Amino acid sequence: MIIDLKDVNKTYPGAVPLHVLKGINLGIEQGELVSIMGASGSGKSTLLNILGILDNYDTGEYRLDNVLIKDLSENHAAELRNKMIGFVFQSFNLISYKNALENVALPLFYQGVSRKKRNQMAMEQLERMGLADRSHHLPGELSGGQKQRVAIARALITNPKLILADEPTGALDSKTSKEVMQVFRDLNKEGMTIVIVTHDPEVAKATDRMIKIEDGLIVPEKTKIITSFDNKNV
Amino acid sequence: MFDLFREISQTIQNNRLRTFLTGIAVAWGIFMLIVLLGMARGVVNSFESGSWAKTSNRINIYQGTTSKAYKGYKEGRQIKPELEDMDLLKEKNPDHVSDITSNIYMGNIVFSTSKDYVSKSPQGVYPYAQQTDNVNLIAGRFINDADLRYKRKSVVMEEKNAKALFGDAKSAVGKYINGLDLSWQVVGVYSHDWRDNVYIPFTTAKALTGNDKYVSNLQVEIKNVSTIEDGENAEQQLRNNLSRKHNFAPEDQSGLYFSNQFTNYLKNKTAFDILSMSVWIIGLFTLLSGIIGVSNIMFVSVRERTHEIGIRRAIGAKPGNILLQIITESIAITTLFGYIGVVLGMVVTQIIAALSEGSDFLSNPTVSLQIALEVTLVLIIAGALAGLFPALKATKVKPVEALRDE
Repeated sequence: MIIDLKDVNKTYPGAVPLHVLKGINLGIEQGELVSIMGASGSGKSTLLNILGILDNYDTGEYRLDNVLIKDLSENHAAELRNKMIGFVFQSFNLISYKNALENVALPLFYQGVSRKKRNQMAMEQLERMGLADRSHHLPGELSGGQKQRVAIARALITNPKLILADEPTGALDSKTSKEVMQVFRDLNKEGMTIVIVTHDPEVAKATDRMIKIEDGLIVPEKTKIITSFDNKNV
Repeated sequence: MFDLFREISQTIQNNRLRTFLTGIAVAWGIFMLIVLLGMARGVVNSFESGSWAKTSNRINIYQGTTSKAYKGYKEGRQIKPELEDMDLLKEKNPDHVSDITSNIYMGNIVFSTSKDYVSKSPQGVYPYAQQTDNVNLIAGRFINDADLRYKRKSVVMEEKNAKALFGDAKSAVGKYINGLDLSWQVVGVYSHDWRDNVYIPFTTAKALTGNDKYVSNLQVEIKNVSTIEDGENAEQQLRNNLSRKHNFAPEDQSGLYFSNQFTNYLKNKTAFDILSMSVWIIGLFTLLSGIIGVSNIMFVSVRERTHEIGIRRAIGAKPGNILLQIITESIAITTLFGYIGVVLGMVVTQIIAALSEGSDFLSNPTVSLQIALEVTLVLIIAGALAGLFPALKATKVKPVEALRDE
């Protein structure tokens, strides 16, 4: 199992403590294409933060590729994020004054890879996304779909165990959304594990498995047949 | 490291106007520091190269009037230094006196050539007068020991007088002039803005003035002194010996007038040290306002880039990476604009140096390489300090920030 959560609890402290995750149990296998669905306030974002090692949890266990992720130092967490997880965000989160190539190469900068080598690797990823001719464009000069593909290239460059996508189509029109989802499906076919957090049923339908979260708990999964049936219509 | 600079140059270019405006404050601070240091340097240089410093190991003794009754003599008696005093002091104070020189001012003498004449009061001097009067020779030599020993009729005169007598200053050396029905040889010509004394050997002047036992002053060269206290002790020893000879109270400060160049020099030197220090303080505080500006702008920059820092953290930047980036950025801005200030400051001090050429109060008012290096060090430290607090704030940015919408 690449992702293994056991009874994960998270409470945000405050005048009125907010118990957002009330014992999450979740397992995701290597090579799965999974969507996590939930309304706002369901705890979906908190779960995503924990999965992405962006935030801590209080009790329970989270294992990522059999590594226990708990009470890590900032430095160790940064290292694991860099090596194991590729992030794709709703608002792309490209750095506006860096061109596509530099954006894609940035994670390697923090690994201390030489400039020549990381630019070469970034170029390969851009070619894979069909954006080789856009490599020296700034994000502002790219369309939404192109930006998201640059972001996906950036997520892939460290050859991570897992792609974690937060509403990856939230800022895109329906046609581009479908294109981006197709990119995810293609990557999944090549063996990449992908977790997509979304509130869009269309996006969820395009994945192999749908995990629903409601009020801090995972809703027991329905039969898989329905989702795979729906997939054929995409 | 090179990669880091590429990162920084990108972010600086991204905020050109803001960086520029902040940078001006730093450049101005450093500019002021350099100009002030240059000016202070000029004043100190002129102090150290002037006649003050050259004559700092002297105590000069002039005539005075007693202020106390002593040994039956009433106060108000005039006392003049005498020729004999020179030998007396040398003999009685061998520890502190290394040499004694003096001057004799003579009455008007008409010096003439076949061409023209000048009327001057010659001054009988020792070679040492070249330093006290800051005589800047343009041809020939000054009065020397041989002149004194053989009571030669040698003359050193100012350029303008030499021109009047010979038509050309430099060719005057070696030629003869008439004065007091004697023939004098011009041995040197000097140049000065306002002084035009005629110098002759002390011994020659003494011979010409006849039986007069008085000299106008005693210039005592002292040795084995290093502190103000030493200088004052040496002065008191001289006064004790002279008081016995001239019968005035040893504690009477005005019986003979003592001008202690040594203690004056040390006191002035202290004053100049304080001047140098004040300049550094003023300069550094001017720079401080620039540094606070940089710190401020780095805070703004960190705040504006919270989202970007969050993205960097999410994709693997460690807090240390972010800290280093912000501090280096701050040092880069400070040093870059600091050097603009250094260069402008250097240019201005060079201009001042050119304008003040030959002034008695400013001498080479430029900063040395050492000061430039010190300033570089100050800039780097200042930049690091300016960046430190914003950088610490930046490390507090959580990677979750990347997920928030802008």
